[in-house]
Amino acid sequence: MRITSRKRTIAFAVTLGVLVAAVALALNISWIVLNWREVVPLFIGVLFFGFIIAGVILNTIFLVREVRRNEQQDSFLNAVTHELKTPITSIRLYLETLQQRQLDETQRREFYQVMLQDTQRLMGTVDQVLRAARVTQKNAIFHKSEIDVGPLIQDAVELARSRHHLPPDAVTWDLDGKPAEPLSVAGDREELSAVLSNVLDNAVKYSPKDPQIHVDVVTPDLEHVQIKVQDNGIGIPSGELKRVFKRFYRVLSPATQQVKGSGLGLFIVRAITRRHGGRTWAESEGAGKGTTVTIELPRYQQ
Amino acid sequence: MTGQILVVEDEEHLARGLKFNLEAEGYKTEVAGDGETALNLLLEQRAAFDLLVLDVMLPGKDGFTVASELRQANHYIPLLMLTARGRPEDVLKGFAAGADDYLPKPFDLKILLARIQSLLRRREWSRVLVNDAPSESRVAESRSGDLLREFDVYAFSGKQVDFATLELRANGKIFRLTLMEAEFLRHLIRNCGKIVSRRQILEEVWGLHEDTDTRAIDNFIVRLRKYIETDPSKPQHLLTVRGVGYRFLPKPTGGN
Repeated sequence: MRITSRKRTIAFAVTLGVLVAAVALALNISWIVLNWREVVPLFIGVLFFGFIIAGVILNTIFLVREVRRNEQQDSFLNAVTHELKTPITSIRLYLETLQQRQLDETQRREFYQVMLQDTQRLMGTVDQVLRAARVTQKNAIFHKSEIDVGPLIQDAVELARSRHHLPPDAVTWDLDGKPAEPLSVAGDREELSAVLSNVLDNAVKYSPKDPQIHVDVVTPDLEHVQIKVQDNGIGIPSGELKRVFKRFYRVLSPATQQVKGSGLGLFIVRAITRRHGGRTWAESEGAGKGTTVTIELPRYQQ
Repeated sequence: MTGQILVVEDEEHLARGLKFNLEAEGYKTEVAGDGETALNLLLEQRAAFDLLVLDVMLPGKDGFTVASELRQANHYIPLLMLTARGRPEDVLKGFAAGADDYLPKPFDLKILLARIQSLLRRREWSRVLVNDAPSESRVAESRSGDLLREFDVYAFSGKQVDFATLELRANGKIFRLTLMEAEFLRHLIRNCGKIVSRRQILEEVWGLHEDTDTRAIDNFIVRLRKYIETDPSKPQHLLTVRGVGYRFLPKPTGGN
């Protein structure tokens, strides 16, 4: 309901913009016809009308953008409300159950376990929202140090496996468990782990039941390190490859509707990578053909 | 109190917690992970549940859609909506979609159980109203009209309708009727042999006054024919009287 009314707002704004621009254009033409002999009024008039038309068009574009942004913020609020309230509801339900019913020891243990997982989930959501707010601050503090990429990836891969209950062969990476030549970047360890776990979480979330995720480390030149995370998931349509990094942006399709998300993950990834002087981008052959997300960071210089 | 409850909730922890508590209260409970599964269970397989606990934010079809699709198919199972969205417009949307009750998350366990109990109790009451019949006419044979004023079990040409349990036995199968299907059939049986107009049906069965979409009645007739008639395209019991309404005949007329 709300979305259709938004669409109507956008349609109205665009129609109004086009109408006003058309009127201005018509006036402009009649001005030219009336004053075609006198050079100075003709020039000034055309300039003025040009400004008015440009202003109207810009105004319309901004308005439409603002309405869209509002819409995304709305769906973000919905998603975060859900992500915050679900674990709280669950914890409360289990606490009340423990309080009101006679339970045996195994059941009680099981319930404690469930509640612990819920607090973790809650913490994850809170962290994500706070991180998204923090990384956009101009004076955000990053504790940069020399970080070896190998162990960083190893930790992230293991975390992803345990968090999503995946077998080791679902998430593979070249140097799994093997010692490697140290390859280091200058960065904030916590923030970089957040980047990797966000990308890996996405790879799992937007993939079929048994995901095949592969992490690769490439050194395209002496100055950069690229971490590539490849999955066999639902992929990203080519028109959306850049937009997915925008704040609150989520691709709208039946496949993504099955997945819950706040639209913050890749935004955080991009913001942190930029803060480290790096870049990040996504590649996909299209819907259903998997996605590769690349994080490029500058190498540590001594 | 007993009853069979279907919980539609995709969050595994919540689903498990709800199932545990409902079972501890003595309800038989099943969990469906998404709206499609629930609709399939209720509409296609016509699984017998007494109450539906429905989450709103589900993968695929959301709770509002599930509720309105159920109601559009004239499935009138008592429905408690459970959701993280607690704003007034969401609550109203829930009721508009066909919810009987609405509880925002996080909820109080005792309140949830009380609301479930009250919904089930109301269902029991409406059943009592359906069969507040004098006990001597429990089984009414399809002979005299007056005897049929109120009845629990009605039998005709080898078929049997039990208005207490909302079960219909026909052609060796048992169909479970919704409360509205049963009420509708009961109204036709009560006026057995006479023509009943659509308007009369709307007013007396649904309590609606004119101007309502009468397609709803056609859907009911189609479904009831599927249960009762050997060949639904050539009805023997539920006859359409073109331009007027419907007529129920307990015995096939022989020649059409």
